Amino acid sequence: MRAMWEFFFGVGWFATLLSYITITTAILISGSLIMMLLTWIERRGLAYMQDRKGPNRVGPFGLLQPVAEAIKTITKEDITPTEADRWVHFLAPVVILASTVAAFAVIPWGNLIPVDINVGVLYIVAISAVHTVGILMAGWASNNKFALLGGMRGVAQAISYEIPQVISLVAIVMLVGSMSVVDVIQHQMDPYGNILSWHIFTPVGLLAFVVFWIASLAEGERPPFDNPEAESELVAGYMTEYGGMKFAVLFLANYLTNFAICAVTAGVFLGGGNGPGSDIPILGTLLSVIYFLAKSLGLFFVMVWIRGVVPRLRTDELMHFAWKFLLPLALVNIFSTSLWIAITRWGAEQGMGVAEALGEPGSIARLAVAWLVTGVINVVAFFVVARINATRGITTYQATPTAV
Amino acid sequence: MTATPEQQTTTQTALRPVGGGGVVVVERKQPRQSYGQGIAKGMGVVIRHFAKSFTTRIDDKSDQVGMFTVEYPEERMELPEAYRNMPILLYDDKTGQELCTSCFQCERICPPKVIHITQAKDPNTGKPVPAAEEFVIEYDSCMSCGLCHEVCPFDAIKMDHFFELSTHDHLSMDRNKAVLDRPISYYQAIAPNLWAAVEANAMKKLQNNIKRRPGNIGVAPHMIGKAQKALPTAGAGGARPAAGARTAAPVAAMGKNMPPEKVERLKSIRAANAAKRGGAVPSAEETLLAASAYTSATASPESGLHTAESDAGLAPSPATTPAPATGPVAAVGQNMAEDKKARLEAIRAAKRAQRGDE
Repeated sequence: MRAMWEFFFGVGWFATLLSYITITTAILISGSLIMMLLTWIERRGLAYMQDRKGPNRVGPFGLLQPVAEAIKTITKEDITPTEADRWVHFLAPVVILASTVAAFAVIPWGNLIPVDINVGVLYIVAISAVHTVGILMAGWASNNKFALLGGMRGVAQAISYEIPQVISLVAIVMLVGSMSVVDVIQHQMDPYGNILSWHIFTPVGLLAFVVFWIASLAEGERPPFDNPEAESELVAGYMTEYGGMKFAVLFLANYLTNFAICAVTAGVFLGGGNGPGSDIPILGTLLSVIYFLAKSLGLFFVMVWIRGVVPRLRTDELMHFAWKFLLPLALVNIFSTSLWIAITRWGAEQGMGVAEALGEPGSIARLAVAWLVTGVINVVAFFVVARINATRGITTYQATPTAV
Repeated sequence: MTATPEQQTTTQTALRPVGGGGVVVVERKQPRQSYGQGIAKGMGVVIRHFAKSFTTRIDDKSDQVGMFTVEYPEERMELPEAYRNMPILLYDDKTGQELCTSCFQCERICPPKVIHITQAKDPNTGKPVPAAEEFVIEYDSCMSCGLCHEVCPFDAIKMDHFFELSTHDHLSMDRNKAVLDRPISYYQAIAPNLWAAVEANAMKKLQNNIKRRPGNIGVAPHMIGKAQKALPTAGAGGARPAAGARTAAPVAAMGKNMPPEKVERLKSIRAANAAKRGGAVPSAEETLLAASAYTSATASPESGLHTAESDAGLAPSPATTPAPATGPVAAVGQNMAEDKKARLEAIRAAKRAQRGDE
């Protein structure tokens, strides 16, 4: 008996397994709950933006509406089209959901983080790219033209927007000097005060944020980049042939992706769980979770807000936007990030003797100069790229007067 | 037409201001928006709507910002007077007399043909009476076009505002007169101006029609017995009829159009009917007599029932409106002896009438 006890609890493996299972379960449960909350925020938020009420009948303020819908989808018949590729059709939602949930492994909930790996940022980008495969599987296996078109669009869009997304993250990785998500968040607490240390409050970080956020919207297939499931053109895109629980899984994965995007953005640019009192031992952890959720949900509200404003892009405009606007900006941002690092941190050893005159590395004077230089570069770059795009980049159609 | 190019050009130029396909250039304050200005502006507009939706409501229809949702089962919008849903029939509040004269205009014009009218007949003469015996509308197929309401010369059929008609019972959507009837006051409540516009004319026509309706014919089913005897007080132009004209009317009508023998015979029939009602079981002789008396009238049990009903309706107030021609009838029902006397008299009268015919 004692030997058995030793075998299970004396040695580390069982306890480790148990803890991982617990954490995974917690993430999955909280993920579903978050998804319910997000659908509620989206529907009611959009409704109020359009001067109407939205779902407010089930439960207080309609908060239980997603529960009612979950019951509905669970009880619905699970249909696979006769001509569909059965196994791929079945696996596609699994692949999509699995890749999305896997991304949560390194996403920090305030001060709580499931796993802190030293390539966390890279891992997030890599694992969330896997869901592109799932989209293509769903589109192909459905044996439906709408689904296939949606799947192809999804893949093209995801691949295109991954590039500005990753390159804008490169700037942050350069600033932090580490790919660990925890380090990224720690870096934003470092030098001065609290809120102004967030990456978004530097010129470099701001441009990176704008590019990353827009690219992430496209990655998460949020309007105005929801071409893969454009209702008015493609029924529901790659989700056309899915019903019941499979559709619910795709839907869940969609919202989890959106939440992951918000969480990563909050962590990388808005200081994660940082906030007043978030470094107190135990209470601080609770506070940091609250801060983190507030920031993430706030970002999600911005997503909804954008959805309420911007109409869907045409597919060619979408591609133009990624390659001709976001990518140049992200590249310029890498350049100004290196300038920022050189001005604020380097000394005579690295060949920046000029900067020595301004003061010690990290001094206010050097920061001010770095602010000025990178700010000017980024603003000028933004206007130049926008100007080029406005005049000869994206084809604009003018209404020509018809011959009288 | 052979027109030179110059002529054509001048014609088109002349047409332009009217809207002949020219390009209209609208001057805007900001002719060109770039660098995300447009999106920023849009974001501002949307968030203003978002914030205002919590605090304000759209009351005036020209308002642009604010919540416009009306949470239906709890809140209801006021329907415009001219809103139309399903047709209903109107009857006068006091007398219970329906405005419908069964002129069949609505039945004819109804595009899906869902209106079915049976005209009422005088049980004594078999002549049509300006009233509807039965009036059925199939609500399930009605398309709410309102043509029946527009065509009705007597303003008897109107469009209701009630729209919560969903039901599990399909057959209940065939609405008969008993269900369709609404008092004028109801319509006045939902469409006061519309009714005020037609009231005088409608009431005048109703008065004229009531004079030609014997008994309870044309009275809304649930108003029978409850209705007042008085004529409806007309609106602006209606002439006030003399008291007691209604009870006397059928007889007067008989006298106008029929030979005296016929009048006599009809009287006897009335008497026979009254006797039938008064006496316990009509004898074979009586039945025979009655049957022979109904030479021209329909002798269907239904119309017979109607007669009894109409008599019952008349019975309560014979004293206030004494009609000399119906004297024997008026006496009926007071006691058995008189009853019997009346019956005998009626039989005699019937025989006399028969003889007269021969």
